[in-house]
Amino acid sequence: MVDNLYRAFVNATRDVFNLMLNISEIKDHPADGFKIENGVDISIGIVGDLNGEVVYRFPASTSINMVKIMSGMQFDEIDAFVASAVSEIANIISGNVLTALSGENLNYNLLPPVQSNSDDKEYENGKSCCIDTSIGEMCLEIKLNSE
Amino acid sequence: MLWKEQYKLGVSRIDAQHRELFRRVESFLQVLRSEESWNNKIPKINETLEFMKRYVVEHFQDEEEYQRSIDYPGYEAHKQIHNGMVDYVQEVSMQYQQSNENEMLMQQFGGRLLAWLINHVAAEDQRIADYANKRGISENG
Repeated sequence: MVDNLYRAFVNATRDVFNLMLNISEIKDHPADGFKIENGVDISIGIVGDLNGEVVYRFPASTSINMVKIMSGMQFDEIDAFVASAVSEIANIISGNVLTALSGENLNYNLLPPVQSNSDDKEYENGKSCCIDTSIGEMCLEIKLNSE
Repeated sequence: MLWKEQYKLGVSRIDAQHRELFRRVESFLQVLRSEESWNNKIPKINETLEFMKRYVVEHFQDEEEYQRSIDYPGYEAHKQIHNGMVDYVQEVSMQYQQSNENEMLMQQFGGRLLAWLINHVAAEDQRIADYANKRGISENG
Protein backbone atom coordinates (compact mmCIF):
# COMPACT_ATOMS: atom_id res chain seq x y z
CA MET A 1 0.00 0.00 0.00
CA VAL A 2 2.90 2.35 0.73
CA ASP A 3 4.03 1.96 -2.88
CA ASN A 4 0.52 2.72 -4.18
CA LEU A 5 0.30 5.81 -2.00
CA TYR A 6 3.80 6.89 -2.99
CA ARG A 7 3.03 6.69 -6.72
CA ALA A 8 -0.33 8.42 -6.22
CA PHE A 9 1.34 11.30 -4.34
CA VAL A 10 4.03 11.74 -7.01
CA ASN A 11 1.40 11.70 -9.78
CA ALA A 12 -0.83 14.15 -7.91
CA THR A 13 2.14 16.46 -7.34
CA ARG A 14 2.90 16.34 -11.06
CA ASP A 15 -0.72 17.21 -11.94
CA VAL A 16 -0.96 20.06 -9.43
CA PHE A 17 2.38 21.60 -10.43
CA ASN A 18 1.35 21.39 -14.06
CA LEU A 19 -2.10 22.88 -13.59
CA MET A 20 -1.38 25.53 -10.98
CA LEU A 21 2.21 26.51 -11.72
CA ASN A 22 2.58 25.56 -15.40
CA ILE A 23 5.47 23.25 -14.52
CA SER A 24 5.27 20.03 -16.50
CA GLU A 25 8.66 18.42 -15.87
CA ILE A 26 9.13 16.81 -12.49
CA LYS A 27 11.35 13.90 -11.49
CA ASP A 28 11.26 11.89 -8.28
CA HIS A 29 14.20 10.15 -6.65
CA PRO A 30 14.86 8.59 -3.24
CA ALA A 31 15.38 11.16 -0.49
CA ASP A 32 18.86 11.40 1.00
CA GLY A 33 17.55 12.28 4.43
CA PHE A 34 15.29 15.17 5.28
CA LYS A 35 17.74 17.92 6.02
CA ILE A 36 15.98 21.04 4.86
CA GLU A 37 16.79 23.75 7.34
CA ASN A 38 14.57 26.56 6.14
CA GLY A 39 11.26 25.79 4.59
CA VAL A 40 7.67 24.84 5.11
CA ASP A 41 6.88 21.45 6.64
CA ILE A 42 3.31 20.25 6.24
CA SER A 43 2.06 17.15 8.00
CA ILE A 44 -1.15 15.41 6.92
CA GLY A 45 -2.51 12.58 9.05
CA ILE A 46 -4.07 9.45 7.52
CA VAL A 47 -6.88 7.86 9.54
CA GLY A 48 -9.24 4.93 8.99
CA ASP A 49 -8.31 1.58 7.43
CA LEU A 50 -4.90 3.13 6.87
CA ASN A 51 -3.12 4.82 9.73
CA GLY A 52 -0.16 7.07 9.25
CA GLU A 53 1.15 10.39 8.13
CA VAL A 54 2.41 12.18 5.04
CA VAL A 55 4.98 14.91 5.52
CA TYR A 56 5.68 17.43 2.77
CA ARG A 57 8.86 19.45 2.95
CA PHE A 58 9.08 22.53 0.78
CA PRO A 59 12.45 24.34 1.01
CA ALA A 60 12.25 28.13 1.35
CA SER A 61 13.28 28.84 -2.25
CA THR A 62 10.74 26.36 -3.68
CA SER A 63 7.96 27.77 -1.46
CA ILE A 64 8.71 31.35 -2.45
CA ASN A 65 8.92 30.46 -6.15
CA MET A 66 5.56 28.66 -6.00
CA VAL A 67 3.83 31.67 -4.47
CA LYS A 68 5.55 34.09 -6.88
CA ILE A 69 4.23 32.11 -9.85
CA MET A 70 0.70 31.95 -8.48
CA SER A 71 0.47 35.59 -7.44
CA GLY A 72 2.78 37.36 -9.88
CA MET A 73 4.04 39.25 -6.82
CA GLN A 74 7.42 39.53 -5.14
CA PHE A 75 8.19 37.50 -2.00
CA ASP A 76 11.55 37.41 -0.24
CA GLU A 77 10.93 35.16 2.73
CA ILE A 78 8.55 32.65 4.21
CA ASP A 79 5.82 34.35 6.18
CA ALA A 80 2.26 33.47 7.18
CA PHE A 81 0.97 34.16 3.65
CA VAL A 82 3.56 31.96 1.91
CA ALA A 83 3.24 29.13 4.45
CA SER A 84 -0.55 29.17 4.14
CA ALA A 85 -0.49 29.11 0.31
CA VAL A 86 2.01 26.23 0.29
CA SER A 87 -0.03 24.38 2.92
CA GLU A 88 -3.12 24.70 0.70
CA ILE A 89 -1.17 23.23 -2.22
CA ALA A 90 -0.22 20.24 -0.03
CA ASN A 91 -3.89 19.94 0.86
CA ILE A 92 -4.87 20.00 -2.83
CA ILE A 93 -2.28 17.33 -3.71
CA SER A 94 -3.57 15.14 -0.87
CA GLY A 95 -7.19 15.63 -1.94
CA ASN A 96 -6.26 14.52 -5.46
CA VAL A 97 -4.62 11.40 -4.02
CA LEU A 98 -7.82 10.53 -2.17
CA THR A 99 -9.78 10.89 -5.40
CA ALA A 100 -7.26 8.86 -7.39
CA LEU A 101 -7.36 6.00 -4.87
CA SER A 102 -11.10 6.09 -4.26
CA GLY A 103 -11.55 2.74 -6.03
CA GLU A 104 -9.21 0.85 -3.66
CA ASN A 105 -12.01 -0.42 -1.35
CA LEU A 106 -10.26 1.08 1.63
CA ASN A 107 -12.03 3.45 3.95
CA TYR A 108 -9.67 6.16 5.09
CA ASN A 109 -9.42 9.89 5.21
CA LEU A 110 -6.79 12.60 5.34
CA LEU A 111 -6.72 15.15 8.15
CA PRO A 112 -6.37 18.87 7.45
CA PRO A 113 -2.76 20.00 6.88
CA VAL A 114 -0.78 21.12 9.90
CA GLN A 115 2.33 23.23 9.56
CA SER A 116 4.75 21.31 11.70
CA ASN A 117 7.43 18.72 11.79
CA SER A 118 6.68 15.04 11.63
CA ASP A 119 4.85 13.63 14.66
CA ASP A 120 7.94 11.51 15.48
CA LYS A 121 5.81 8.40 16.06
CA GLU A 122 7.23 5.09 14.95
CA TYR A 123 5.57 3.58 11.89
CA GLU A 124 6.02 0.12 10.45
CA ASN A 125 6.30 1.12 6.79
CA GLY A 126 7.70 4.19 5.18
CA LYS A 127 8.89 5.60 1.92
CA SER A 128 10.38 8.96 1.13
CA CYS A 129 11.43 10.81 -1.96
CA CYS A 130 12.39 14.20 -3.26
CA ILE A 131 10.87 15.67 -6.39
CA ASP A 132 12.94 17.93 -8.63
CA THR A 133 11.21 20.71 -10.51
CA SER A 134 12.41 23.73 -12.44
CA ILE A 135 11.66 25.96 -9.40
CA GLY A 136 13.41 23.78 -6.84
CA GLU A 137 12.85 20.51 -5.08
CA MET A 138 10.30 19.31 -2.55
CA CYS A 139 10.33 16.16 -0.48
CA LEU A 140 7.69 13.73 0.66
CA GLU A 141 7.66 11.12 3.38
CA ILE A 142 4.85 8.58 3.68
CA LYS A 143 4.62 6.59 6.91
CA LEU A 144 2.03 3.87 7.57
CA ASN A 145 1.25 1.19 10.09
CA SER A 146 0.44 -2.22 8.63
CA GLU A 147 -2.86 -2.59 6.88
CA MET B 1 -2.22 39.49 -13.43
CA LEU B 2 -3.89 36.58 -11.67
CA TRP B 3 -6.49 35.84 -14.33
CA LYS B 4 -5.40 33.72 -17.28
CA GLU B 5 -7.37 33.13 -20.46
CA GLN B 6 -6.83 29.38 -20.03
CA TYR B 7 -9.26 29.53 -17.06
CA LYS B 8 -12.20 30.39 -19.35
CA LEU B 9 -15.03 27.86 -19.30
CA GLY B 10 -16.81 29.21 -22.38
CA VAL B 11 -19.90 30.25 -20.41
CA SER B 12 -19.90 34.02 -20.57
CA ARG B 13 -21.74 34.76 -17.32
CA ILE B 14 -19.51 32.41 -15.29
CA ASP B 15 -16.35 33.60 -17.04
CA ALA B 16 -17.25 37.23 -16.31
CA GLN B 17 -17.79 36.36 -12.64
CA HIS B 18 -14.48 34.49 -12.47
CA ARG B 19 -12.68 37.48 -13.98
CA GLU B 20 -14.28 39.76 -11.41
CA LEU B 21 -13.41 37.36 -8.58
CA PHE B 22 -9.77 37.21 -9.70
CA ARG B 23 -9.66 40.99 -10.10
CA ARG B 24 -10.97 41.50 -6.56
CA VAL B 25 -8.66 38.87 -5.08
CA GLU B 26 -5.70 40.46 -6.87
CA SER B 27 -6.59 43.86 -5.54
CA PHE B 28 -7.02 42.37 -2.04
CA LEU B 29 -3.57 40.74 -2.26
CA GLN B 30 -1.94 43.95 -3.45
CA VAL B 31 -3.27 45.80 -0.41
CA LEU B 32 -2.49 42.89 1.91
CA ARG B 33 1.11 42.70 0.71
CA SER B 34 1.80 46.44 0.38
CA GLU B 35 4.40 48.16 2.54
CA GLU B 36 1.84 50.36 4.26
CA SER B 37 1.16 50.00 7.96
CA TRP B 38 -1.51 47.47 8.89
CA ASN B 39 -3.76 50.16 10.34
CA ASN B 40 -3.80 51.99 7.03
CA LYS B 41 -4.66 48.80 5.17
CA ILE B 42 -7.57 47.81 7.40
CA PRO B 43 -10.36 49.81 5.65
CA LYS B 44 -9.55 48.32 2.22
CA ILE B 45 -9.07 44.84 3.69
CA ASN B 46 -12.44 45.04 5.46
CA GLU B 47 -14.17 46.30 2.33
CA THR B 48 -12.79 43.44 0.23
CA LEU B 49 -13.61 40.86 2.87
CA GLU B 50 -17.23 42.02 2.92
CA PHE B 51 -17.34 41.88 -0.88
CA MET B 52 -15.90 38.37 -0.87
CA LYS B 53 -18.50 37.16 1.61
CA ARG B 54 -21.32 38.39 -0.65
CA TYR B 55 -19.84 37.76 -4.08
CA VAL B 56 -18.48 34.29 -3.44
CA VAL B 57 -21.94 33.09 -2.36
CA GLU B 58 -23.64 34.77 -5.34
CA HIS B 59 -21.12 33.39 -7.83
CA PHE B 60 -21.26 29.88 -6.38
CA GLN B 61 -25.07 29.90 -6.65
CA ASP B 62 -24.92 30.99 -10.29
CA GLU B 63 -22.34 28.33 -11.08
CA GLU B 64 -24.38 25.63 -9.34
CA GLU B 65 -27.48 26.72 -11.28
CA TYR B 66 -25.55 26.31 -14.51
CA GLN B 67 -24.38 22.84 -13.43
CA ARG B 68 -27.96 21.80 -12.73
CA SER B 69 -29.09 23.17 -16.08
CA ILE B 70 -26.67 20.86 -17.91
CA ASP B 71 -27.20 17.87 -15.53
CA TYR B 72 -23.57 17.96 -14.49
CA PRO B 73 -22.91 14.65 -12.67
CA GLY B 74 -20.36 16.19 -10.31
CA TYR B 75 -22.86 18.75 -9.04
CA GLU B 76 -23.20 17.43 -5.46
CA ALA B 77 -19.44 17.07 -4.93
CA HIS B 78 -18.81 20.50 -6.45
CA LYS B 79 -21.47 22.06 -4.22
CA GLN B 80 -19.75 20.54 -1.17
CA ILE B 81 -16.47 22.19 -2.19
CA HIS B 82 -18.28 25.52 -2.55
CA ASN B 83 -19.95 25.09 0.84
CA GLY B 84 -16.58 24.32 2.42
CA MET B 85 -15.13 27.57 1.06
CA VAL B 86 -18.14 29.64 2.12
CA ASP B 87 -17.84 28.19 5.65
CA TYR B 88 -14.12 28.98 5.68
CA VAL B 89 -14.64 32.61 4.58
CA GLN B 90 -17.35 33.07 7.25
CA GLU B 91 -15.20 31.44 9.92
CA VAL B 92 -12.12 33.54 9.13
CA SER B 93 -14.20 36.67 8.99
CA MET B 94 -15.64 35.94 12.44
CA GLN B 95 -12.21 35.17 13.90
CA TYR B 96 -10.85 38.35 12.33
CA GLN B 97 -13.53 40.48 13.97
CA GLN B 98 -13.12 38.72 17.30
CA SER B 99 -9.35 39.16 17.18
CA ASN B 100 -9.69 42.91 16.65
CA GLU B 101 -8.53 42.75 13.01
CA ASN B 102 -5.45 40.59 13.43
CA GLU B 103 -3.04 40.83 10.49
CA MET B 104 -1.69 37.28 10.74
CA LEU B 105 -5.17 35.85 10.19
CA MET B 106 -5.59 37.87 7.01
CA GLN B 107 -2.14 36.90 5.71
CA GLN B 108 -3.02 33.23 6.22
CA PHE B 109 -6.41 33.78 4.59
CA GLY B 110 -4.82 35.52 1.59
CA GLY B 111 -2.35 32.71 0.98
CA ARG B 112 -4.97 29.99 1.18
CA LEU B 113 -7.46 31.95 -0.92
CA LEU B 114 -4.88 32.44 -3.69
CA ALA B 115 -4.01 28.74 -3.98
CA TRP B 116 -7.61 27.59 -3.52
CA LEU B 117 -9.00 29.91 -6.18
CA ILE B 118 -6.41 29.00 -8.80
CA ASN B 119 -6.89 25.29 -8.26
CA HIS B 120 -10.66 25.54 -8.12
CA VAL B 121 -11.01 27.46 -11.36
CA ALA B 122 -8.14 25.74 -13.20
CA ALA B 123 -9.09 22.20 -12.15
CA GLU B 124 -12.54 21.75 -10.58
CA ASP B 125 -14.39 24.24 -12.77
CA GLN B 126 -12.67 23.04 -15.93
CA ARG B 127 -14.32 19.64 -15.40
CA ILE B 128 -17.68 21.35 -15.88
CA ALA B 129 -16.48 22.79 -19.19
CA ASP B 130 -15.06 19.41 -20.25
CA TYR B 131 -18.41 17.74 -19.51
CA ALA B 132 -20.34 20.44 -21.40
CA ASN B 133 -18.00 20.14 -24.38
CA LYS B 134 -18.29 16.35 -24.45
CA ARG B 135 -22.06 16.59 -24.40
CA GLY B 136 -21.96 19.23 -27.12
CA ILE B 137 -23.73 21.68 -24.83
CA SER B 138 -23.59 25.21 -26.19
CA GLU B 139 -23.47 28.46 -24.23
CA ASN B 140 -27.25 28.45 -23.77
CA GLY B 141 -27.51 24.84 -22.67
